[in-house]
Amino acid sequence: MPGDFAFKGCRKIQGSQIIHLLKAKDFFLFDCDGVLWHGEHAINGAPKVVNSLIRQGKNVFFVTNNCTRPRENYVNKFYRLGFTDVIQEQIFSSSYCSALYLRDVAKVQGQVFVIGGEGVRKELREAGIPIVEDEIDATDATIYDCALTQNVKAVLMGHDDKFTFLKLARASCYLRDPECLFLATDNDPWHPLQNGRILPGSGCLTAALEVATGRKATVIGKPSRFMFECISSQFPLQPAQCLMVGDRLETDMLFGANCGLDTMLTLTGVSQMKQAESYRDSKQHTNQNFVPDYVVDTIADFLPAFDVLD
Amino acid sequence: MAVSKCTLLTGPLIKQLLDSVDTVLFDCDGVIWRGNQAVPGAADVIDLLKKNGKRVFFVTNNSSKTRKMYAEKMKTMGFDAKEDEVFGTAYCTAMYLKTVLKLEGKVYLIGNNAMKEELENVGIQHTGTGPDLIFGTPSDWANVPLDPEVKAVVVGFDNDFSYMKLNRAMQYLSNPDCMFVGTNNDTRLPLEGGKVVPATGCMVKAVETAAQRPAQVVGKPSPFIFDCVASRFKLDGARCLMVGDRLDTDILLGSNCGLKTLLTLTGVSTLADAEAHQRSGSPQRLVMVPDYYVISIADLLPALQG
Repeated sequence: MPGDFAFKGCRKIQGSQIIHLLKAKDFFLFDCDGVLWHGEHAINGAPKVVNSLIRQGKNVFFVTNNCTRPRENYVNKFYRLGFTDVIQEQIFSSSYCSALYLRDVAKVQGQVFVIGGEGVRKELREAGIPIVEDEIDATDATIYDCALTQNVKAVLMGHDDKFTFLKLARASCYLRDPECLFLATDNDPWHPLQNGRILPGSGCLTAALEVATGRKATVIGKPSRFMFECISSQFPLQPAQCLMVGDRLETDMLFGANCGLDTMLTLTGVSQMKQAESYRDSKQHTNQNFVPDYVVDTIADFLPAFDVLD
Repeated sequence: MAVSKCTLLTGPLIKQLLDSVDTVLFDCDGVIWRGNQAVPGAADVIDLLKKNGKRVFFVTNNSSKTRKMYAEKMKTMGFDAKEDEVFGTAYCTAMYLKTVLKLEGKVYLIGNNAMKEELENVGIQHTGTGPDLIFGTPSDWANVPLDPEVKAVVVGFDNDFSYMKLNRAMQYLSNPDCMFVGTNNDTRLPLEGGKVVPATGCMVKAVETAAQRPAQVVGKPSPFIFDCVASRFKLDGARCLMVGDRLDTDILLGSNCGLKTLLTLTGVSTLADAEAHQRSGSPQRLVMVPDYYVISIADLLPALQG
């Protein structure tokens, strides 16, 4: 049964197996970084795969923890990189879903203190959520003399390359109120760039705020189920008909397991086959949740299947 | 070793305890002062302990002052303390790098001017302090130039902490031979007016998360900070008393090093906290139970004056 941790195949598939999978599934959820593109370069064949799935009438969604752009910028990026059939409604980023959470689940009454860039702020504004907009980057203010905004009912931690001690301190003060919500777009500790280089992720900043406050953040992004629930609230998703395709075992595969979806690891990104096999062979039951059902070298391995299906 | 009993220290027990030790180590904040206010009677306690032939040291996790700055603060607050009696983590971290890790090379420093000074005092070069803001593209950040002489990343209290500093630390630590040291893991300091100041533990945790490995932490409850005092002054742990206000740093340090422990209730931990650890039965919590407690260290005065 999909998502059952008893045994995950972790099998590399191709040819007729992929054809079978494409016939069996109606909903394809793709992570983006490391699956469709690396930075500004589409992975060879990926645009054709996505465009073909859409033209075949499959439901395609994009589920990304990357909160650095608003969805309309993502649409531009998809188009620029050759994914010409993608529309905004298919894109579910952690920043968009954080806005939905604040508006529809928490129904927040009051302002939200955001640590993050325009990618997060714009989504909240578009959802009609008031955010603290004062000049917090003023360099001579300190926690001892700065004023605290009244009526802050939530703190949202996202990826912030302009992160400072003062922002951390202000967020800690707001979170002293147990009624003030503590949200994080995602927990990723680092992100890969090209050539094996990495950068710190939101997970580091969230960890700092958790230590300062003694509280745990509610994480919106993968592997939490919430982004799947966002998609389900807008589209008629059946878990058994879904395939989650990602490159990171600890986020994408675990997300799939948490939502009861079949999972596919593509080897064009963060995680390697050896790591997947290591989780599979581990004695710890819960490690099975990191193991993919299927593995491909690249999603371009789908392409021969379309020739048959067309 | 007998399990600590969390006994109220009163009457003849005080003299009995003091006679059984040669050295008393005090935490500072919450014990002898609170912020900028001395705890009433604390200065007299210290004077009288010294007059009674006891050695007195001060052991604090705060990394923002040099020993010299501490001695000056203590003087202005009316405490008799010499520079070499104070052990803050700026000094102890420099000593740890020098004498334990035997560091040969530079430090990538996330810290403050006190740490800077203490490192320079032991001849360790570092990359400096102050703001470090983001510029350029993500590719620039990931490819930030690394000083080949850096052999350790050291994290202490830094109110210029930023994403760029976190990034640089992570890049250095991607070399598995690069050492990783934190001054202390304290989480936060409460301020007047409902504010709170995040403490060094936050910054250490951010770097640990990015680097995906733990820091070696110098401050309480790590035994190193006691070793720093003990090796310099040839102390016998069994004849030392640790006086503190936090069960998870001061008392745990005492347990870890075989010292007698005294909790004072003028700071963070409460008697209820101590008794909860005592009832828990869990080995990790029993080590945080003090041998004795007092409401304030001024409660020692009658025995010292008599």
